[in-house]
Amino acid sequence: MHKNFKNITAVVVFILMGIAFYENFQLMPAYKGLGEGVSDYIIRSGLSETGSLNLITAVLYDYRAFDSLGESTVIFGAVSGIVLILSRKMLPVSSRGLSFIVKRTLGIITPFIALFSIYVITHGHLTPGGGFQGGVIFAAISIIFSIVYGSAFDYRRYSPQMKTAFETVGALTFLGLGIAGIFMEGYFLHNLGFLTAETGTLISAGSIPYINMGVGLKVGAGLAIIFYSMIQKTFKEEI
Amino acid sequence: MDIKILLLILVPLALAFSIPLVDLINAKLRRFFVLVGILLESYLLIKIITENYTSLIDGDFFLQYHLGGWHPPYGINLVMDSLSLLFVSIVTLSLFLIVIYSIGYVGHHEGKYYVLYFLIAAAAQGVLLTGDMFNLYVFIEMLTITSGALIGFKRSHPASEAAIKYLIYNIIAGLFIFMGVLLIYFNLGTLNMAEISNNFSLLEDGVKLFISSLFITAVLIKMGIFPFLFWLPKSYDTAPSPVTAVLSGVLSKVYLYIFIRLVWTVIGIDTLTAYKLDILILDIALFSSFLGHVFALQSNNVKRLLGYSSIGHIGMILAVIMLNTEAGFYGGILHIISHMFMKAGLFVALGYLLQYTATHHYDDFQGVGIRDTKVFVAFIILTLSMIGMPPLLGFASKWYILMAFLEARSYFGAFIVIFGSLTAVIYYLRYIAKGLEEVKLYKGELRMEIFSRPLISVLYREKIVSFITYSYTAIIIVFGIAFRLLDMPLNMAIKSIFDIEKYIHLVLGG
Repeated sequence: MHKNFKNITAVVVFILMGIAFYENFQLMPAYKGLGEGVSDYIIRSGLSETGSLNLITAVLYDYRAFDSLGESTVIFGAVSGIVLILSRKMLPVSSRGLSFIVKRTLGIITPFIALFSIYVITHGHLTPGGGFQGGVIFAAISIIFSIVYGSAFDYRRYSPQMKTAFETVGALTFLGLGIAGIFMEGYFLHNLGFLTAETGTLISAGSIPYINMGVGLKVGAGLAIIFYSMIQKTFKEEI
Repeated sequence: MDIKILLLILVPLALAFSIPLVDLINAKLRRFFVLVGILLESYLLIKIITENYTSLIDGDFFLQYHLGGWHPPYGINLVMDSLSLLFVSIVTLSLFLIVIYSIGYVGHHEGKYYVLYFLIAAAAQGVLLTGDMFNLYVFIEMLTITSGALIGFKRSHPASEAAIKYLIYNIIAGLFIFMGVLLIYFNLGTLNMAEISNNFSLLEDGVKLFISSLFITAVLIKMGIFPFLFWLPKSYDTAPSPVTAVLSGVLSKVYLYIFIRLVWTVIGIDTLTAYKLDILILDIALFSSFLGHVFALQSNNVKRLLGYSSIGHIGMILAVIMLNTEAGFYGGILHIISHMFMKAGLFVALGYLLQYTATHHYDDFQGVGIRDTKVFVAFIILTLSMIGMPPLLGFASKWYILMAFLEARSYFGAFIVIFGSLTAVIYYLRYIAKGLEEVKLYKGELRMEIFSRPLISVLYREKIVSFITYSYTAIIIVFGIAFRLLDMPLNMAIKSIFDIEKYIHLVLGG
């Protein structure tokens, strides 16, 4: 009775909220296009000011780079929190992995996955993609290793300490490039002028590709750490 | 253009990033790094105040920093006016005291603890300093995630449950803020606070109402005002004492700052009065304060009791701010300061007093005061300040709040202030009496007693921990006697709250 009452109340509240949101979104004016405001400015002069062909990357790592620093810090904090709550000092429970065929196939495919992730990270300023996306693909390698070869394999090859070091180095790269901006250009996270080159080449767009690499390392290592702490066998801890 | 206000955010951020690396090299260096970081932060703040002392006196204190060199509508800017300076100062002082307390208190997983702690520090400074809506959202999200992880720090079943509950409530609130930011960008094409506040009145009526109610709902959830208060006592109860001190001492005050910034600077109080929303919020806040005190009366768990009492006090502060008068802000901000130190001091003292007890239950409180008499005296002084005894800071702030309510002829509010004090007498005296009760044990029982009470908190530097408790008490007593010292900063902050045109002019023109 009590539980039913709770459920019914929750459903009623959600329906009322849905109606309220529907009614209010009806009031929004029609989409006016990009002809005004900040987006118009960025479309007009984003390429010439940042040198990045991919305007989304230009916004993410140049105009609003501080937001990206914050966002990647959110991931950093989440990783620390999950490790704090889930980690136990136990050896991981390792399955023996999948069959021989799968192991061989993935042995062949894995280098290509790594190559693809590096491509996505380093070409963030030219094609869709960037540090966050490429980092996720990178983390997938670690997950594939744990599933296909058993988690002890991943543990022995790439220890948690190494992943933590990668994550920290990625975070510090981002911060270091920002501080380099203070000394060389006068502003935190200013695009480094001496790194710019002809637009459209791989090494262009100032510090954007390097920030991408830092974010890629951080996100990749961070997600791998999250996955790794979640598969560990948990024991009841004696206090 | 002042790099120091950026460094206020970057120093804790860099510290949080580098602690895992330091851990890999030598874990003993960590404590040293933590101390250097927090001292550097305090040095920066003192430097900002001393360098700009003349402009502070003249009342035209204003600093800003353009990130990446992009000017306001296109990039992110950090803004520091008198209001943010006041909040940054008290938040930094709180964080400073609590980090030293943590050095003595936290025994396991110190590395991760300090990473999360300094991320909270960076995010709190970021929220206080940013002048950009999306940046505000990013920092709020950072606060939520890191504090949620710290609530689960004890890794017991109730701690995880409280952490998940906290995260669900607060992430929904974060989504509301995100939706509000998106709608603002969709309608106005800008994210800069000054420019939004310039153009907000041009929007249609329904859109204005929708956006402001989204923001207000989100901040009410985060502060734990009436319909959304149920996550708060649980998370205050299960988190370790320094984390609870951060939650009640820093986070709830930061959310109050966000509320002031959003309502007065961005949305504009006129928008709220046009829809009679201000009266609604005032009444909700007063009712929430009433409920908080009533729940505190029936609570048998001392940390949960303090959580409910926090709900009562924050509701009172919110109500007195919503009066939208100078007297109201004076009392409200003074009470923000006094509640910040009283409540954090109480949690800090409890962390020391309850180190050998199995739970935080009323019965376990027996004999606590006899075991550690000095800290218990500090605890009693802090509770007296919560009640509002004359020579202490709690009295001054409650007095100004009462005067503000009477001046605005809001007699229900005045009743709530008195009611809160009277109920506080009942529920604190009960615990003080229990704490002074002698525990009579026979030899056999004594052994049982020792073995049956597990050492939950690992308190291995007792001197540091009790010293921090005394310093909280000292702050309350000194400022209680000399609360006129706070007159100047409070008046400056109030001036900058009401002078929105100056804010807009300085951000967009300077």
